[in-house]
Amino acid sequence: MTDEEFRAEVRGWLAARLASAEFACLAGKGGTGRAHEFVAERMAWERRLGADGWIGLGWPEDDGGRGLPWRRQVIFYEEYARADAPGRVGHIGEQLVAPTLLTFGTPEQKARFLPGIAAGTELWCQGYSEPGAGSDLAGLRTRAALRDGEWHVDGQKIWTSLAHVADWCFLLARTSADAERHRGLSCLLVPVRQPGVEIRPIRQITGTAEFNEVFFDDARTDAGNVAGEPGDGWRVALGMLGVERGVSNLGQLIGFQREFESVLAAARGNGSIADPDIAGRIADAWTGLQVLRFTTEEVLGTAAPDPVAGGAAANVVKLMWTSWHQRLGELAVDVIGPDAMLAGPEYDLSDTQRLFLFSRAETIFGGSNEIQRNIVAERGLGLPRG
Amino acid sequence: MDTPEQAALREAVRDFCRKQSGPGAWDRLTGELGLTGLAVPECYGGSGAGLAEVAVAVEETGRVLLPAPYLSTALAGAVLGEDGGEPAGGAAAGFLPGIASGALRAAFVFGDSVQVTDGRLAGVARHVLDGAEAGLFVVRAGEALFAVRAADAVVTPAGTLDETRSQATVEFHGAPCARVGCPAGRAEDLLRVLLAVESAGAAAHCLDVTVGYLKTRVQFGRPIGTFQALRHRCADLAVEVTSARSTAYAAVRAAVSSSTGSPASAVSAAAAELAVLGPLAKRHCADVFWHAAAEMIQLHGGIGFTWEHEAHRYLKRAKTSQLLHGTPAELRRLVSQRAGLS
Repeated sequence: MTDEEFRAEVRGWLAARLASAEFACLAGKGGTGRAHEFVAERMAWERRLGADGWIGLGWPEDDGGRGLPWRRQVIFYEEYARADAPGRVGHIGEQLVAPTLLTFGTPEQKARFLPGIAAGTELWCQGYSEPGAGSDLAGLRTRAALRDGEWHVDGQKIWTSLAHVADWCFLLARTSADAERHRGLSCLLVPVRQPGVEIRPIRQITGTAEFNEVFFDDARTDAGNVAGEPGDGWRVALGMLGVERGVSNLGQLIGFQREFESVLAAARGNGSIADPDIAGRIADAWTGLQVLRFTTEEVLGTAAPDPVAGGAAANVVKLMWTSWHQRLGELAVDVIGPDAMLAGPEYDLSDTQRLFLFSRAETIFGGSNEIQRNIVAERGLGLPRG
Repeated sequence: MDTPEQAALREAVRDFCRKQSGPGAWDRLTGELGLTGLAVPECYGGSGAGLAEVAVAVEETGRVLLPAPYLSTALAGAVLGEDGGEPAGGAAAGFLPGIASGALRAAFVFGDSVQVTDGRLAGVARHVLDGAEAGLFVVRAGEALFAVRAADAVVTPAGTLDETRSQATVEFHGAPCARVGCPAGRAEDLLRVLLAVESAGAAAHCLDVTVGYLKTRVQFGRPIGTFQALRHRCADLAVEVTSARSTAYAAVRAAVSSSTGSPASAVSAAAAELAVLGPLAKRHCADVFWHAAAEMIQLHGGIGFTWEHEAHRYLKRAKTSQLLHGTPAELRRLVSQRAGLS
C-alpha cells in the first residue's frame, strides 16, 4: 500500500463513521475550548477507533500496534483534522502512557495496560502539576509510600485534563522523602475510581471545565504499578514529553488551516477584509502558518538534529505554534468586531470566542513558554545555567 | 536535508569563506570552486547542478557577507541556463561560458522603468544590486527578460550604506539586447528566494556570534549568558532563525521543482508555489535577519556599536535585504494577492 492509498483508507473510514447515525453529532466537537462536550459519545468514538485499529498505529506489532512508520501516523492525524473529527479522550493513554510503557514498562505492565489503551476502553489522565509545583515541577509534594504490597498515595494534582472520565492516572509522586528534588520521584499507575481519589472540576476562562483538581487521600495501587524503577520517575516522566508530539504537531497544522480559513471567510463575509490593517494581519497569519508548517516539517520530520534548534526542536515548535495560534485568536475576534463582546445564554460562546480564550492556555500548558525558552537556551544554544 | 554532494559543497564553501580575503577571492570562488557555474549546463562550462546547489553556496557566502557579486552572477547562470540548448537569440550561448568561468559578472534589473522597442532597451534603473561591477545585465521590460552587455549601458556606481555589496544606477539608451526565455516574474522570484537563503545564513551567523559572546562576556561575576533576560531573547531568536532556514529551503524546493529540468507534471504547480513563496520567504527571512542583527548589536553592548565589530555590517546588509526587490509592506500585499487572501 502506498502512502496515498493509506490516506484514502483513513479518509474513507472517517467519512463513513462520521456520517453514521451514532457519530454524526460529533463532527467538530470536543476541540479547542470544547473538551467538555459530548463526552459519552466521544468515549464511544474512542472505542470505535480502537476496534477498527486506529489506536497505536506506531507501536510495534508485538505490542498490539500496527508498526506503521512515522509518515503514516502523520497522515492519520492530518486526515483526522481534515475530517473535523472529534477531540480525542484517549490521547494521554496513546501518546504519553503507551510510549512510556513501551520504553520503560515490564512485560507484565505492557500486557496489562496496552490492550485497554489500544481498544479505547481504558482512559488515562496525567498527574504532574500541583498547586505548588507548576514550572518547578520537581518541587512536587504528592507522596507515595510502599506498605503491605501497595503504594499509598497522598497529595493533590491540578490541571488534570479528563480526570473525570479516566480510569487510570499516570502519576508523578515523591517516593523517597530524604532524596533531593529530582531523585526520589516515581511514576505510578493509579486507578482513579477508588475511595481515596476525589475529583473537582476547575471552571476556567471559557466558563467550561476541561481541567480538574485531583485529591489523593490514602489512594492505593499495587506495588507493581510503577513505570521504570522507583526513584527514576523524573527521567521516565519527562523522557516521553515531546517524543510523540511530533506526529500530532504535524497533524494539527491541518486544523490550523481550517481555523484560518474560517477567519478569512468571516472577514470576507462582514467586509472587514477591506480594512487594510485586518487584511495585513490576515496576510501575516497565513504567512505565519506556512512558516510554522515548513519549520515543523523540517525540524520534526527528520531524524538529524536541526543546525539551529539542536536538541530543542520540539520546544522551538511549541513556542511557534502556541504564539501563532494565540495571534490567530486575537485576529479572529477583531474580524468579528463588536459582536464578539456578546455571549449566548448561560455563557454559551462561539467557536471564535473559544479559540480566542482557550489559546491563552496554550502558552502555559505542557511547559510554559518561558520554560520552553529556558530549554532552547540551554539545550539548543548551549548557554550556561545561572 | 543536504544530499551528500550538497553537504560536501557546503563544507568546501564554508572553508573557503573562512580563509578568503582580498582581491583573489573571486578567482578562487569561480575557478577552483566553480560556484558561479553551479547552475550552468555542462555544455557551457558549468557543472550542471542547479538552484539547490546555488542556494547552499549563497547561504554560506551570506553567512560571512562575502563582498562579491556572487548571488546575482550565479542566478544569471541559472536563469540563462534554463534556455538550455535553445539558441533563443543566442543569449545563453553568448554569456554562459563567461558566467561559468567567472570572467563575466551579472546583475538583474527589475522594476517598471525599462521599455523595449524594436529590439532595443531604453530607460533608467536605480538600486541595481551588484550593478557596479557587472559585465552583463539581465533586464525586465514588460513581462519579458533581456540580456544586455554592460558596455552598451551607462553605469554609475552608487555609494552604499552596506559596503559589502555594490549598487549602481544603470541607463539604457537604445541598448541592443537578446531575449531570455525565463519569464521576468519568475526570475525576480528566484532572486527573492536567494535573498531569503542569504538572509537565513546571515541571521544564523548573528545568532551564533551573539551566543558565543554571551558565553564569555562576564559581568556581575558571571557570564552574561546566565541571565534569563538575555537567554530568552536568544531563544526567541533561535526560533526565528530556525523558521527562516526552513522557510527559505521550502522556497528553494519550489524553485527547483519549477525549473525546466523537472518533471513537466510538477512544474506548473511548483511555479504557482514559487510565485507565493518567493516574496513570502524573502520577507520572512529578511525580517528575521534584521531582528537578529539588531539583537546582535544590543546583546553585545557598546562593542557592537563600533566600526571594528562586524555587527554593523550585518545590520546594514539586513536593512538592505529588507528593502531590495520588495519592501516588507509591498511583499505582504503581494503575498496576499498571490495567495488569494483578499
